Amino acid sequence: MVKLSHRMSRSATEPVLAVKDLSVILSREGRPSRVIDNISFDMFPCEIVALVGESGSGKTSIGLALQGLLPREYLPRVAGSIRLAGTELVGAGGRTWRSARRHLVRAIPQDPMGALNPTMTIRHQMRESNGGSERSIKDWLARTGLADPDRIADALPHRLSGGQRQRVLIAMAMMARPKLLIADEPTTALDVTIQAQILDLLRDLTREQQTAILFVTHDLSVAASLADRVLVLYAGRIVEMGRIQDVARNAAHPYSAGLLAARFDLDSDRRRPLPTLPGERAPLINVASACSYAPRCPIAQPDCMAIRPPLEAASAHGGAVACLHQEQTPLLSTQRADAKPWPAVAVQETAALRLSNVRKTYPTGTRSFWGRRQSQPVLRSVNLTIKPGECVALVGESGAGKSTLLRIAAGLEAPESGTVTRFDKLGPQVVFQDPVATLTPWLTIGEQIGERLRGVSLDSEYGRRRVGEAIKLVGLDPVLMDALPAEISVGQCQRAVLARAVIVPPSLLLCDEPISAMDVSLAATTLNLLSDLRRQLDMAMLFVTHDLAAARIIADRIAVLKDGELVEVADPDAIIAAPQSAYTRSLIAAMPSLPAGGGR
Amino acid sequence: MTGRPGQDTPARPRFNWRDFFRRAGWLESIGIVGVPVVTVLAVLAPWITPFDPQLRVAGAYLPPSAGHWFGTDEIGRDLFSRIILGVRYTWLSGLAVIGFTLIVGSLVGLISGLMGGKVDLVVERIVDLFIVLPSTLIALAFVAAVGPGLVNTMIALAIFWWPWYARISHDEIRRLKARPHVEAARMAGVRGPRLLLRYLLPGVVPALLIGASLDLANVIMTLSLMSFLGLGLPAPAPELGAMTSRTLDSLTVHWWLPILPAAIIFFLCLLANLAGDGIRAALRGA
Repeated sequence: MVKLSHRMSRSATEPVLAVKDLSVILSREGRPSRVIDNISFDMFPCEIVALVGESGSGKTSIGLALQGLLPREYLPRVAGSIRLAGTELVGAGGRTWRSARRHLVRAIPQDPMGALNPTMTIRHQMRESNGGSERSIKDWLARTGLADPDRIADALPHRLSGGQRQRVLIAMAMMARPKLLIADEPTTALDVTIQAQILDLLRDLTREQQTAILFVTHDLSVAASLADRVLVLYAGRIVEMGRIQDVARNAAHPYSAGLLAARFDLDSDRRRPLPTLPGERAPLINVASACSYAPRCPIAQPDCMAIRPPLEAASAHGGAVACLHQEQTPLLSTQRADAKPWPAVAVQETAALRLSNVRKTYPTGTRSFWGRRQSQPVLRSVNLTIKPGECVALVGESGAGKSTLLRIAAGLEAPESGTVTRFDKLGPQVVFQDPVATLTPWLTIGEQIGERLRGVSLDSEYGRRRVGEAIKLVGLDPVLMDALPAEISVGQCQRAVLARAVIVPPSLLLCDEPISAMDVSLAATTLNLLSDLRRQLDMAMLFVTHDLAAARIIADRIAVLKDGELVEVADPDAIIAAPQSAYTRSLIAAMPSLPAGGGR
Repeated sequence: MTGRPGQDTPARPRFNWRDFFRRAGWLESIGIVGVPVVTVLAVLAPWITPFDPQLRVAGAYLPPSAGHWFGTDEIGRDLFSRIILGVRYTWLSGLAVIGFTLIVGSLVGLISGLMGGKVDLVVERIVDLFIVLPSTLIALAFVAAVGPGLVNTMIALAIFWWPWYARISHDEIRRLKARPHVEAARMAGVRGPRLLLRYLLPGVVPALLIGASLDLANVIMTLSLMSFLGLGLPAPAPELGAMTSRTLDSLTVHWWLPILPAAIIFFLCLLANLAGDGIRAALRGA
């Protein structure tokens, strides 16, 4: 383990957490795989450390390993050492772990609803978890910024909003005054404006309570707005660590540099494709003696496949990096030849979709025996026209009615009043949020993509050829035609879903939050692919998202939806430069971003 | 997307017997193998009995021995051969009841689940009605009324068994219909029978299979109970339940006569339950 200069200033304090040579092997379907590979790091009181990596990098497993909660069905084998506040936890018995989980390490989950017992009041659950007095429960709820702690304490979880639930969980965790708090993507399930508030709250509470936070995230900009230090994880190894400003400005590992470049925000160039990480994670044969990033690395040399790079002092900043050719990394940003700008879209002045005065209400609450349910308006008189070839992004928070509007446009639901006019015989196609869930698990990719050809021709030879073409069009290997969805990665599933949508190009493509569950690089890749396809195939597009930055990059116009009403429809750059409504301003203000000068 | 740890390498979901048995567990695997084996034995029963089960082949009341494994009964018939034939009646009629109710019940459930609306509402209330009736009691009354006999017993059972499968398939269809992949298939233009057969049915089958395999033991138990109470085949037929009840009074003298048929009923139920547990464990993982 390298001694790092910025730690010297803290040498007076003992680390609260010391992880040394930690390895975790999980067995799935009888095949062992090393999800955490020999990592070491320290954490000090009051410190916020971000653990950044893409899906499958092992970041969730580290969080679970520190709580002794690795899933038992995967037969976890843990080696190395975890010392938490002086207690060795690797190999410790159930009693030690239980005590550690109660007093030393607490966690805030990604999904606040799943972490609360739906049948117990908040007060009851807080008492279970901490045994605190009535006063301290109220006190802690108030401290997390909940306006009416008495009401909240007596409520059942389903009566609270997502943000309130996450605050309750933070109160519950911090009430135990833990030495270490593990926050695994605590804000991904929340709206942007709430996200910023939760991050602020976490920062204030740790300073006050001297708690260290391990903040697990795939989003470097969220990490940067909160953390002091960052650990970049790739394939279970730490590839770079250092102060967050250092890494964000002068990334020393090609992977960190790639992650930073793939990140997009309100200032990214929207006239050309976004930079992305090359390829997807590929398994290595001689992984023990090679750099695991080598197959994807743009600056890989022959020795990268022969030597496992040690974590050593970085030349670019005060941290450490595991790269044999770290001096080459800065060249990456200059090397990245500017991609060709997107061709201009020929938007016609007719309409591909016209929604006029669309209204929709949903029944809510309990129903009396004979009575009718009360109804809650979701959409109040929405008017929106999408021209052929144009992309309109629909932005708003959860509950604003975005998805309902998309489902009405798709014809999956009928509006209560108002009219939906589509100007093409061929119906619109929909790309749903979770690509894996929208593929039928027992049918091959090719069978599902070919389903849309049945309206055109039943000839199977012709069908296979067309499916092959569509698969190539979205950048997949035609070999995958015969694969089942579970055999391919999330990114490949997303491409297969797109291939099904465009094999017979619709004049209107509807996308429902297609990137909200993806990590940065995959999101950028998907945005590029969508931008490319809609131009090639001349499709109009409705892109529903809660992410203003993504909306700005893909769309020709942005429509902001709040409480079922369109509050603003305008050109993306105009809307961000001069938002007309207070709501749009709050959305823009809440966007997390890297410290000035970072990333580019 | 963070989620379950270690999920970066997708598992190969292609069917593989080794994985299937590993997930089921070794004891349960015995059940899964045992059910088809017993079925084959039951079908072949008339040809594999060591002695003619209907004829006197030795002295009466011989205890179990190397020549007659399960001993002989009151008129010198070989008990082992009679039990093999009894297994045939009980096991095959159990399978028939399950098979018949499975088809009828799941068809009703599938249709009402697919159609939804008023039809669904009415069918579901009828299903509810059948489920809340005290089934065993009414089945007994039914057989007593129309007269004892194997076919009558099976009909009585079937009347009260199909609603459970209707309920399972209905709920599964409703659940699947709202899933994104079915919605996506509908947007891709898949309709009618094709949607049902390719996109919905394969998702319903595992739940029905689990339900049916766990029910087999139940049906065998109920059939044996009816035959124990004298509502099955008439006297000379070797039914396991009836054999137990007819010889119960000689329990202290000729213990093998009531005990061994009862033990075989127990063994069949155990096998069926193990198979059900195993199939559930194996399919729920997949």
